[in-house]
Amino acid sequence: MDLEIRKRELVKEFSPLLKKSTKTSKIWIGFLIAVILVGLAAFIIQAVKGHEVTGMRDNVVWGIYIINFIFFVCLSYSGAFISGILHFFKTPWKNSVMRIVEIITVLSLIIGPIFILLCIGRLDRLHYLFIYPRIQSPITWDIIAIITDLIGCFIYLYLTFIPDFAILRDNSKKAPAWRQKLYRKLAIGYYDTPTQREKLHKITRTMSAMIIALAIIAYSVLAWIFSLTLQPGWNSSIFAPYFIVAGLYSGVGVIIIAMYLIRKFYHLEHYIRKIHFVGAGVILLVISLLFGYFTFSEYFSRWFSHKTHDINLLDTLFNRYFWMFIFANYIGVLVPIVILFFKKLRTIKSITFAALIAVLGLWFNRYLIVVPTLETPYLPIQDSRPEFIHYSATWIEWALSFAGVAAFILFFILLMRLVPIIPMSGIIDHEREQQKNPKSLTQNQKQ
Amino acid sequence: MKTTFYKYSVFALIIGLLLSTRSFSQEATVDDYRMLFYFSTIKQSDNSRTLEARFIARNKKDRKDKIPVFGAEIKFYNVFNDQELLLGKSKTNNEGTARITLPENQEYLTDEEGYINLKAYFAGTDAIDEQEEIISVKNLHLELDLKEIDSIKTVLVNAFVMDSLGTKLNIEESDIIISVNGMLSKMPIEEGSIEDGTFEFEMPTDIPGDVNGNLTVYAIIEDHDEFGNVITEKMVNWGVFNKQDEVKSNTLWSEAAPIWMYIVLTVLLVGVWANYAYTIKNLFSIKKEGKLLETSTEEQQATI
Repeated sequence: MDLEIRKRELVKEFSPLLKKSTKTSKIWIGFLIAVILVGLAAFIIQAVKGHEVTGMRDNVVWGIYIINFIFFVCLSYSGAFISGILHFFKTPWKNSVMRIVEIITVLSLIIGPIFILLCIGRLDRLHYLFIYPRIQSPITWDIIAIITDLIGCFIYLYLTFIPDFAILRDNSKKAPAWRQKLYRKLAIGYYDTPTQREKLHKITRTMSAMIIALAIIAYSVLAWIFSLTLQPGWNSSIFAPYFIVAGLYSGVGVIIIAMYLIRKFYHLEHYIRKIHFVGAGVILLVISLLFGYFTFSEYFSRWFSHKTHDINLLDTLFNRYFWMFIFANYIGVLVPIVILFFKKLRTIKSITFAALIAVLGLWFNRYLIVVPTLETPYLPIQDSRPEFIHYSATWIEWALSFAGVAAFILFFILLMRLVPIIPMSGIIDHEREQQKNPKSLTQNQKQ
Repeated sequence: MKTTFYKYSVFALIIGLLLSTRSFSQEATVDDYRMLFYFSTIKQSDNSRTLEARFIARNKKDRKDKIPVFGAEIKFYNVFNDQELLLGKSKTNNEGTARITLPENQEYLTDEEGYINLKAYFAGTDAIDEQEEIISVKNLHLELDLKEIDSIKTVLVNAFVMDSLGTKLNIEESDIIISVNGMLSKMPIEEGSIEDGTFEFEMPTDIPGDVNGNLTVYAIIEDHDEFGNVITEKMVNWGVFNKQDEVKSNTLWSEAAPIWMYIVLTVLLVGVWANYAYTIKNLFSIKKEGKLLETSTEEQQATI
């Protein structure tokens, strides 16, 4: 096999993805930009008028911003975790999903922390966190963890992009000059020589292991922000592993949804196959069982201990938030389990549906962790208006939340314009391996 | 097909049960409760006497489910043979307690052995049966004396009853508790026994009193078969006022984090960032090799 010819073939195959600009995609991008602009307008209103325009008040000081923050950050950590596992253990079918996972990881880690900034009433004092950090505060740990993790994820993502940048540099003679220049810069003189390849593989492998460890630490720190307080519903010793499992649950769910959408809109049926969905579905099944177990254990111990404040919290959950509780903790767990448990039900669409239910269920689960606890404090504010005690998000908060999701999707689309969503270098590595060991099946021959 | 039907029916039933957590709860009626009626008396230090009745309904199945009976009229009597002298009446409050206090000069009818027989009575309603409880107590006199004997602060207690001729008769034996007045309740400092009508106890010297050093001391006999509850108190200037020398400001945390936290954080961060540095160093070496390759290729092309 002539490597250069193969590289040219792959660039030719994936070039339409990089250049593709259909009418539908233009409408999509326009729509996403419009949503982001509405969010921007909402942000300006919030910045001018203050948190008065949100549903956050004295009792419930955290609303859907923090829920989005947890959701996106957990998505990122789980992406890093899964990506690290796929790379470190050289999973056979990793190539098709690897880049999706990596992009999810970095983008959600960029979008997530923006939501925490929206929670801060006095943004002008933000720099105090860096000038006067308290090492004993979990908030400080979280800032350190997020920054360290963000940089680590960027480096890791870049390492996995380098071989593809090099291939694109060498085979994009017809591309616009800016694109050629960009590829040349980003490829940092990588020519896939044995020494370069060996060095790159070594540092990518080390980084993948590092990313797994970092994800676990950062996850735990995020959970400790809640569990190290004495609030009913938060003060729990299993919160850190519970967050890890919940994060993985949402992470795998979003990966499946992304796989489905990318496969459908970019016609990548040849690369993203049913086996990938089934594999991810089985992982989702295992995690949903674990998540269900943790959720049951968490609520069961609270119910059984019969502590006054825990009982008040459970009363709130089973009355005011009854349907949300049922959706988050019953439907959001049982429906994916039922769909994924039976082999006959495991079709691409049903697996994606299960993932969608899991992701929605998990978002509501986060809502139930944050808001009802704040609505049932140890010392309630007396004689205040119901809207000061109970929380409901305003259009400003929803606009900014949807703007976050839109930004996530938009950046995803733009990144897919920069590098192919299926790593070309991965395909070449795979074929090279195959040449060395012809008996092994290729990922595409398996099903 | 039938099996599938059953399978899904069972599944739907389980989901149904989960959704409707309160489907099987029923309204409780008065028949589900057992009435508990308690009666006690406390003789105070000023010789007044409190009569207290507690009226509680307890669920027959769930013993933790207790409801105070509110607004029930309780009549208190002094009973002697067939005579019943009404001492007073009171309605139970929202804790199920009805209470009256009889003055120190209250005359009681006593039996031959000197017992005062007291009765608490609830007449009953359509739903709740009548309730009655009788207790018999002797009129115990509990004297508390606080003296410094040879510079030792001593608590002296005398306990006696009066016979019909007005002669003091020391009681043989009874448990007694010595307490001091705390911020919220009485704090016991000694538990002992009265023998031949007396009890002596050396008072500790390190008990804080109020700002002026005053300390309220109580001698208490609780739930005695013959005397019921008797309490007496006296104030004395034996307290040690502990002045707080150091005023601590209200801080949320300690000034500095524990050492182990700095060590763990440093080790973690150095480990991670060292790896980043190592990765970037390798990237530079890849770049360097690439540049060398580019230069040699350009030179070769120039030669050609």
